[in-house]
Amino acid sequence: MWSRAPYPFDRRLWALGLSLGLAGCYSGGSGDETDGGATSASASASTTASGSASATAGDSEGDSDSETGEEPPLPFIPGPPTLPRLTVSQYNNTVGDLFGGPLPSPALEPDTNPYLFFNIGAASTTVSEVGVQRYEEAAELLTQAVFADPARREALVGCVPEAADDACAAGFLETFGRRAMRRPLTGEERQRWIGIAAELADGDPWQGLRMAVSGMLQSPNFLYRVELGEVDVEASAAGDKEVRRYTGWEMATRLSYLLWNTTPDDQLLAAAEAGLLDTSVGILGEAERLLADPRAATTIQAFFAQYLDLGRLGHVERDPELYPLYTPGLAEAMRTELELLVDDFISREGADIRGLFTTRSTFVNSDLAAVYGVDAPGATPITFVPVELPEDGPRAGILTLGAFLTMNAHATETSPTLRGRYLRERVLCETVPAPPDDVDTNIPEPDGEAKTLRERLEQHRADPTCAGCHAFIDPPGFLFEHFDSIGSFRELDNGYPIDSTGELDGKPLNDARDLAGALAEDARVARCMVTQLYRHTAGRLEVPEERPGLRDVEEAFKAAGYSYRELLLAFVTSEAFRTVATPEAE
Amino acid sequence: MSFFHSKKKRLGRRTFLRGAVGGSAVALGLPLLDAMLPSRTAAAEDLAGDPLFGLFYWANGTPWHAGHGAEQGAGPADLWTPAETGPGYTPSELLAPLAAHQVSVATGLEPHTEIPAQPPGQGDGHMRGFMVAMTGDRIRPEGFDHPSHTLTALRPTLDQYIAKHADFYGDAPPRFRSLEVGISGARFHDYGHWNAISYNGPDAQNPAIMDPAQLYAKLFNVPDDLVALGRRARLIDAIHDDAKGLRQRLGSGDRQRLDDHLDHLREIQRRLELTSGTCELAPAMPADSSDVLLKTATVAELIAVALHCDLTRVFSFMLTSPATTHSFANLGVPDGMHKTCHDGAWENVRKITLYQMQAFALLLDAMAAIKDPMENSLLDRALVYGVSEYGEGWKHSVKEMPVVLAGGCNGAINRGVHVREPGGNLCKVHTTILRALGIECPSYGFNGAETTEHLTGILA
Repeated sequence: MWSRAPYPFDRRLWALGLSLGLAGCYSGGSGDETDGGATSASASASTTASGSASATAGDSEGDSDSETGEEPPLPFIPGPPTLPRLTVSQYNNTVGDLFGGPLPSPALEPDTNPYLFFNIGAASTTVSEVGVQRYEEAAELLTQAVFADPARREALVGCVPEAADDACAAGFLETFGRRAMRRPLTGEERQRWIGIAAELADGDPWQGLRMAVSGMLQSPNFLYRVELGEVDVEASAAGDKEVRRYTGWEMATRLSYLLWNTTPDDQLLAAAEAGLLDTSVGILGEAERLLADPRAATTIQAFFAQYLDLGRLGHVERDPELYPLYTPGLAEAMRTELELLVDDFISREGADIRGLFTTRSTFVNSDLAAVYGVDAPGATPITFVPVELPEDGPRAGILTLGAFLTMNAHATETSPTLRGRYLRERVLCETVPAPPDDVDTNIPEPDGEAKTLRERLEQHRADPTCAGCHAFIDPPGFLFEHFDSIGSFRELDNGYPIDSTGELDGKPLNDARDLAGALAEDARVARCMVTQLYRHTAGRLEVPEERPGLRDVEEAFKAAGYSYRELLLAFVTSEAFRTVATPEAE
Repeated sequence: MSFFHSKKKRLGRRTFLRGAVGGSAVALGLPLLDAMLPSRTAAAEDLAGDPLFGLFYWANGTPWHAGHGAEQGAGPADLWTPAETGPGYTPSELLAPLAAHQVSVATGLEPHTEIPAQPPGQGDGHMRGFMVAMTGDRIRPEGFDHPSHTLTALRPTLDQYIAKHADFYGDAPPRFRSLEVGISGARFHDYGHWNAISYNGPDAQNPAIMDPAQLYAKLFNVPDDLVALGRRARLIDAIHDDAKGLRQRLGSGDRQRLDDHLDHLREIQRRLELTSGTCELAPAMPADSSDVLLKTATVAELIAVALHCDLTRVFSFMLTSPATTHSFANLGVPDGMHKTCHDGAWENVRKITLYQMQAFALLLDAMAAIKDPMENSLLDRALVYGVSEYGEGWKHSVKEMPVVLAGGCNGAINRGVHVREPGGNLCKVHTTILRALGIECPSYGFNGAETTEHLTGILA
């Protein structure tokens, strides 16, 4: 293990490595990478074994060829469906909307985040027995809380049942079932829940209804997002693979969890029922409505926190003896700073979201102001104020701010390797292969010559086995060497002057400020954002056949001046968001 | 081999408890157990109680030495391997904390699984060593991604293999087939085996309960309204029915995930239908602690009580998770443990390993402290497998995997024995454990690690 950062990986890469003789590292200097060409380094999902992974390597080469304009662009073909469980936050938001009012907080099995995203964990892992027990206990706890209060249960049910299978009860179960399952109940389902309410009432119709609601909350139809589509005859006829189109009900669910992280509201369900979500115009209208609500901002924040891997800030520990400016709340302040920045970019009409990587405007509390060495009148430990970082200072963009610099450094020294790797993987969506099994990944202890960490790393890089990858990740990582392990500016490392020069794909750069300028013109930044949005939405990595669809979304993003809001609107109306393949039967 | 290898269905201790109390939550202490003994007609062997299996996991192996490789051995001494082999060995410095319990150890063993060339990285000790120690098999090559450290198991880990094996529980499993508990919340990643060590199968893990209060509630806070519990149990039938239509529409992978979910629901239904089987012993609602040893002692006591009351007979105890980033600041170590290993800080790794063994000893202490009227302790009945992910963490060598086999397993395990076999197959540990527990096991190990042999000096 040589680093603690997870990152996306092209499962085809090892197949490519065989066919192209790619031994150590993917090197990003080719024209393909910077002009919007090959996507060979961005991740794709293949849940298949080696045989078909090898087969896709050929497709990728074809993909590259098509970018030269000699062949027609490849068509978009949707990938397989997923069956994600509701994440913990989705579950809590959903029951909050279903019941309204204060609710107890049930303990649920914690989410996991392979490939950065909780949705990927929710779609790829199997719930444990303890997790299922927690669902059972949560349903019991929540329904007890709601039904214990006569006023509350009557408000929920809308009438007073005389028997657990009377018209009042049956009507409620049908209405509640539609909201809980995010689609109308089938006749069989309606009979099932009415039947169980009657069976478990034991003379108390309220108890019968409570048990039926508890059962719905434990049903896989509620706990999992079932989005399997219906066969689209026309689209299927156009290609050689069956294409399925999400139903209006499924689209309501997809829109709602993507933009609000909760279950569809009544208006969205009504739009589905009216067929509005079968058209781009209808989808657009509902998406705009959802985006105008404050819940959208919270949900977008959560996406950025995962995409930028901010959860790792929770593990930061620093010795105050070594870093006098380090305070217990500093890492949290760094997270808040990024949240405020993201919020600023998504709330300002037409703002270019890529500005995150170049901005000199940020928000600091008094602790961060000290770390950055800026005046921030009005800032306190709990008050953040907007500041403009000096034009001739060392900082521009979030890669010069506390969160990135700190979580990609060690407790006692910086890590150009971690920082360079984050840039490659998170910002540019490139793949850095792991070192070979038999390689020594330890940075050599200082010998007589090496004075700074950079010099030690350069010795490490002299080993040809290591050079391939480290030549890819370290030179951009050196650009950040003027920032120590908590992001403070420094002139010396280990008492010796710092050399922060480096390069990105052959382009020489002096420091992190220079890098911000280079990123402003780099097409990979926006493409990566689209890719990560797709993974977060799909609950899996994209498959190669889906890339043309993402390229279309990227074009629309560009045309809209890289407004994040416009990206979301282009995405939700795209085929990549509206269609899916038929599940593999195997 | 000794008596409990027989396959006959024995009268479980649970049956015994159920006879004692009909109805609400059971208040059962040792005096009551004593009082009931004379009426019991079981054969003498039953008095020993069914065998127990525990798994104690600690992170990042042991301090490196020459046995791990020429490079590792340039300086430091081997503080793990006892100087002598056989029974009555003198404990090494790092095994000294366990000496009071006369643990047996196997040294020199290593994974024998093949390492596929593609995808690359499958030889990494954090991953390969872990999987072989825990499952007897390699990592699943499909979907393996070394750069992001994404991987999964091909089969259940030993704790789950045992908990679901018909030879172990027969048709009368206790309230919980297994318990998974953990101490340190520090983790290398929030996914995969970095986060949870017990697997049911690929991508199906059992996250450990890390909060003592949650563990306490799970074990002891059972509602006493049996009618209400019965309704909750009947509701589960309706949930099964409701999933049938969905099941038909899914691809094979998601159908498997759903089926596992539905199987778990059946297990919960079984528990809701149990009219007894809980117990209430002395422990008060426990407090959480950030002190590793204090928390270990607390959780160990809860586990011991659960074993005593036959709430379960299988547990896994994750002191620290693989490649832990836990910061042992209390030992004067400045960085997280993973980086400490990588930095080659041998002395700090020594201190941490010794400390982790002190924690292991606390678990064994708790199990040794509870005895039945025949003076058999839980540890006498148990086999506790002490295991880590590799030999050492500086260079990730999987040579010299640390293996501790604690407890007497009702006489099936010879205690206080050191078996040494440099280069030997690590899966001999699995055959030893399975055979000691009376589980049919002609061979164990997969993909190059198959073996029919066990550790002859340790299995009685």
